[in-house]
Amino acid sequence: MNAVHGVMWALLAAGLAVVVLSCWAALALRRVYNRLHLLTPATSIGAPLIGIAAAIADGPGLTTAQVLFIVVLLAVTGPVLEAATGRMAAQREGLTRRESPQ
Amino acid sequence: MSPWLAGAVVLLAGAAMPAWWMASRGSAVDRLVGVELGSVVVTLELILFSQATGESQYLIVPLVLALLSAAGTLVYTRLLAPRSRRS
Repeated sequence: MNAVHGVMWALLAAGLAVVVLSCWAALALRRVYNRLHLLTPATSIGAPLIGIAAAIADGPGLTTAQVLFIVVLLAVTGPVLEAATGRMAAQREGLTRRESPQ
Repeated sequence: MSPWLAGAVVLLAGAAMPAWWMASRGSAVDRLVGVELGSVVVTLELILFSQATGESQYLIVPLVLALLSAAGTLVYTRLLAPRSRRS
């Protein structure tokens, strides 16, 4: 096993650890707003780490581009979905107006 | 067992289970957060499965899932929001 493989497995392990810990921490927390904070580490840290590990394994090519596109898509949409869900939860609890923000 | 397959098993047991648990209990908003986490976990699971089998054509499934789950979650947030008085 050379250094590149070592880095690849380390990135994979780190990505898996981030995703698993995020899920268990979200399960441990009770409030929706606290749980929502743990969605972003999984999408913006865990997924890119796993994607980079897969990119190192595959090398340059179409497969790598597709994997990286998927993890970038997850990283971009994760915070957007988190914000949309938080806003909806606040509207249901009457903490913010239905129309805000426009 | 390859490290990719081992990672897929770890993700299935360690991350999909709590996400499934959150998606099946509590209020509608609680369950939606579980669905969001679950879709991310399943997307990553399918990437790892594609790596483990060496079949790159399987990657179309997580790609479509990532697109549809984002759009689907936005639809859920729209449907679960309280109705406006003017509408």
